[in-house]
Amino acid sequence: MTRRHNTRTIDATLSLLDRQVLDADDVPVQVVTDLELTDVALDHPIPVGTGAPVITALLSGPVLATRIFGGRPPTSRLHRIDWADVAEIGVAISLSVRGDSLAVTWVERWISEHIVGRIPGGRNDPE
Amino acid sequence: MKKLLGLALGVLTAIGGFLDIGDLVTNAVVGSRFGLTLGWVVVVGVVGICLFAQMSGRVAAVSGRATFEIIRERLGPRAGVANLAASFLINLLTLTAEVGGIALALQLASSIEPWLWMPVAAFAVWLVVWRVKFSIMENVTGLLGLTLIVFAVALFLLKPDWMQLATQFLQPTVPAAGAAPEASSTYWYYAVALFGAAMTPYEVFFFSSGAVEEKWSIKDLGQSRLNVLVGFPLGGILSLAIAACAAVVLLPRSIDVTALSQVVLPVAAAGGKLAVAFVLVGIVAATFGAALETTLSSGYTLAQFFGWSWGKFRKPAQAARFHITMIVCLLIGLGVLATGVDPVAVTEFSVVFSAIALPLTYLPILLVANDPQYMGRYVNGRITNALGMLYLVIILVASLAAIPLMIITGAGA
Repeated sequence: MTRRHNTRTIDATLSLLDRQVLDADDVPVQVVTDLELTDVALDHPIPVGTGAPVITALLSGPVLATRIFGGRPPTSRLHRIDWADVAEIGVAISLSVRGDSLAVTWVERWISEHIVGRIPGGRNDPE
Repeated sequence: MKKLLGLALGVLTAIGGFLDIGDLVTNAVVGSRFGLTLGWVVVVGVVGICLFAQMSGRVAAVSGRATFEIIRERLGPRAGVANLAASFLINLLTLTAEVGGIALALQLASSIEPWLWMPVAAFAVWLVVWRVKFSIMENVTGLLGLTLIVFAVALFLLKPDWMQLATQFLQPTVPAAGAAPEASSTYWYYAVALFGAAMTPYEVFFFSSGAVEEKWSIKDLGQSRLNVLVGFPLGGILSLAIAACAAVVLLPRSIDVTALSQVVLPVAAAGGKLAVAFVLVGIVAATFGAALETTLSSGYTLAQFFGWSWGKFRKPAQAARFHITMIVCLLIGLGVLATGVDPVAVTEFSVVFSAIALPLTYLPILLVANDPQYMGRYVNGRITNALGMLYLVIILVASLAAIPLMIITGAGA
């Protein structure tokens, strides 16, 4: 991570999870459903002086069911938004990239191209 | 001058947009059964919706976040999804009632069977949602809805005993529990229904999302406050006029309101054909406007909860899932109506269920309106918070009482 954060401390559960993610043009992308952290090896004592785990990505995917009933979906079902693409954390999380370039918006793009875009007027501004 | 016109337009739209099928039917039913003795509930409801709409509008204008984004963020996935399910289903019920209401009003105007009008109405709603700009949609339905003032005119033409109406309104008598055990619980059941009709959750979803649609900022807060604090109470007076008309014409003849034609009856008795023409335009505009609002609300709630792209200010192709949701919801509503259910009955249920679900929307808004991260220095003041807490109690009581009352009274039978 190249960006230096100022020293504001945020609670990840409160300020990251379930927050709206907006792309560079302020178009809603997804809600953050989970976070990816750097690995901490299980069953090994952690050496003194090891840095705290770092957030590497915002995850979005069908985790609603698993967060309610427990368990977790396979990693392949989750879409990553790289932490380096996060521009700002406020009442929403702003990205520095466009939503169209992210894998997580594929459903939106598919419905847009195959259904909504084909209905007459679907690609025009409302009048 | 232009600014003044803008202010007036906002207020007039709020008056015309205040009434929907729930208000029309419930006020007429209550007026025909209890006179104006439940008028105080309209007052309580109007103050509540003013408080609530003003708060959600302020949150949206200051933070740019609409109601359901906040609900997801504040309540987390478990409580959030329960809230979504309840709010979404009740909104769907209201949507169904509104589309049915358009069809019933058009039937009164044309004597063509309502089931022929229903698909036409649903298609027209979709077309507006699909193609018409947000501000035009709001202003046209709101201004046409103003013709419902004919209810107030009709009340004057009926030359009622004003003293009697005033006494009913100011000194309401609750039917004694001893005399007829079901009488007082029916009274309270309709009190809850009337409260739910005045404070329907979709109004809040729509109001806060509308603030984002119209790109409100902090400098628009004054206009928003004016719209709400002047427009809604005037809309509330129209509600009371509907109840009063029913109290004057229907109550003495013990006519029960089971169809839209009985809602219109006092106006016809007072003003003849011309008045009926006005009232029909008004009812079509009011139900059509509310059908648009509930259709949009179904898209807003789902899209905001899941973080999809939404809004009428975007091209439909840029808010694809939002538009698909609305199409599917309209089709479901149409499917429910196609089973032959009575839209008036659907309306009566929808207002009671609205009252049941109200705390789910209310609490997160109240919490966020006090959160400085969202609101900065625009957090609730002391008076707003005191009122907010009072209403939290009222809303909880109404919500908890609704189901037992529904069972005891057999849904107000």
